[in-house]
Amino acid sequence: MRRALEILLPMSSVVLFVLAWQFYVDWNDIAPIYLPAPSAIVLALWEMIADGSLFVHLGATVLRIFVGFFLAAFFGILLGLLMGMSRLVARIADPWVAALYPLPKISLIPLLIIWMGTGESYKILISAISAFFPIVMSTHAGVRQIEPGLLKAARDLGASARQVQMKVVIPGAIPSIFSGLQLGMGVTIILIVAAEMIGGSSRTGMGYLLVHAGQVLETEKVFAALVVLAIMGAVIIKTQQWLDRVLAPWADLS
Amino acid sequence: MDVIVENVTQIWTDRRRGEVQALSHVSHRFSSGRFSCILGPSGCGKSTLAQIVGGMERPTEGKIDIRSADGAQVAPGAASVMVWQNQNLFPWRSVLDNIAFGLEVAGVGRAERHERARAWTGAVGLRGFERHLPRHLSGGMRQRVALARALILDRPILLMDEPFGALDAQTKFVMQEELLRIFEAHRRTVIFVTHSIEEAVLLGDEVVVMTARPGRIKEVIEVDLPRPRRLEMMGSPQFAALTGRVLGLIREEVTRALAEQDRPDGAA
Repeated sequence: MRRALEILLPMSSVVLFVLAWQFYVDWNDIAPIYLPAPSAIVLALWEMIADGSLFVHLGATVLRIFVGFFLAAFFGILLGLLMGMSRLVARIADPWVAALYPLPKISLIPLLIIWMGTGESYKILISAISAFFPIVMSTHAGVRQIEPGLLKAARDLGASARQVQMKVVIPGAIPSIFSGLQLGMGVTIILIVAAEMIGGSSRTGMGYLLVHAGQVLETEKVFAALVVLAIMGAVIIKTQQWLDRVLAPWADLS
Repeated sequence: MDVIVENVTQIWTDRRRGEVQALSHVSHRFSSGRFSCILGPSGCGKSTLAQIVGGMERPTEGKIDIRSADGAQVAPGAASVMVWQNQNLFPWRSVLDNIAFGLEVAGVGRAERHERARAWTGAVGLRGFERHLPRHLSGGMRQRVALARALILDRPILLMDEPFGALDAQTKFVMQEELLRIFEAHRRTVIFVTHSIEEAVLLGDEVVVMTARPGRIKEVIEVDLPRPRRLEMMGSPQFAALTGRVLGLIREEVTRALAEQDRPDGAA
């Protein structure tokens, strides 16, 4: 009974909202340019699926997200670990991380476009830079926050300095690294779509689809793209959370 | 293996409180194959002493002389292994891989170390839990893992820092009995830190009673209860006489420590 309610309640809230929306639009005869009915949005979505254009745009966006994310993850984890393990690296990197982390990364877009043009590399780089910082910070914090007792115990059991790093520090930092990667993924999605929306920088991608549909006042397509983006984001984030739990079953990941 | 503590003094520098003397001129010989319990009021530096013997801390003054039977000197830490009060198990490793950790870092191959770890899993009563993660074990089971992880290395000196302090009374009895059984089967030098008088008398061949901070050795009491020891001995008049003597010593120290804390100049 409780379980059924737990599933039924969120589902019915969505269904009721959509129905109310549909009736509101139909009843008041609102122009689809302002607010299309859910049925019109579904139709637009179906057309984009049928002609294959949705998958071209979605595929391009997902591909960019993953390239940007993996670049950020690789360099972010690497620098974070180095900062955590070496005071020297931490001292050198700290002012840069501290200064660049709070900078809104979108503000770098003009500069990147000047330097690299509006091709793929600019889009991937802007998202990678944005995701890099939360990943560096979380990894660094994860290494520093290792339970000192675990390090003592490992040394006492005969582990060398290198073995302590490999067998205690790195696995001990994994929960924190994973939460950094989750933050990083969220930022990557935002920045890729934003970069795709900027000044005709692209002929593909969900960001392009949004801007283009908006310019020609195909409001149902705008909504359809938003729905797809929301689902894409949820699927990516949920899959990541599931993967983290499978890979780190000992950790308390939220 | 003999552990000779010579004139050890430990002073911590604390940013708020300035210098705190944890140990003051402690000298004692922990003889080979004996079970020694270090007992004292909290804050007397008994854990610090164990950590100094284990090579995890360096004393401010004095030294630790560890000698094997043939008289060769061994560095602190090389011949000993610690069982911690909070276990310090690696949360990402299964029971088996926690127990095998010391063998793994020593370069023992996977098949062999798992074989040996499996034997120890059985010896501490954890058969069937090999694949469990520490977070899925009870406190008593975690302490068994910690014990097996230390004992598998077969080091001649076993250090135990209030290992049963956080366990409930029933679990504590079971663990004490198990430790006695293991110690009586595999004799080694044991240094066991505790704040429980009964535990010290039940387990130890001697009880080293320490003073309140700064920790000094107040008295060493020989426990002449026969081995193998059993929990039932706790009801004997001999046991009561010993615990009574120790209690008298401890009471003096606790009273003194409390009086010092209450002093208006707030020296502590």
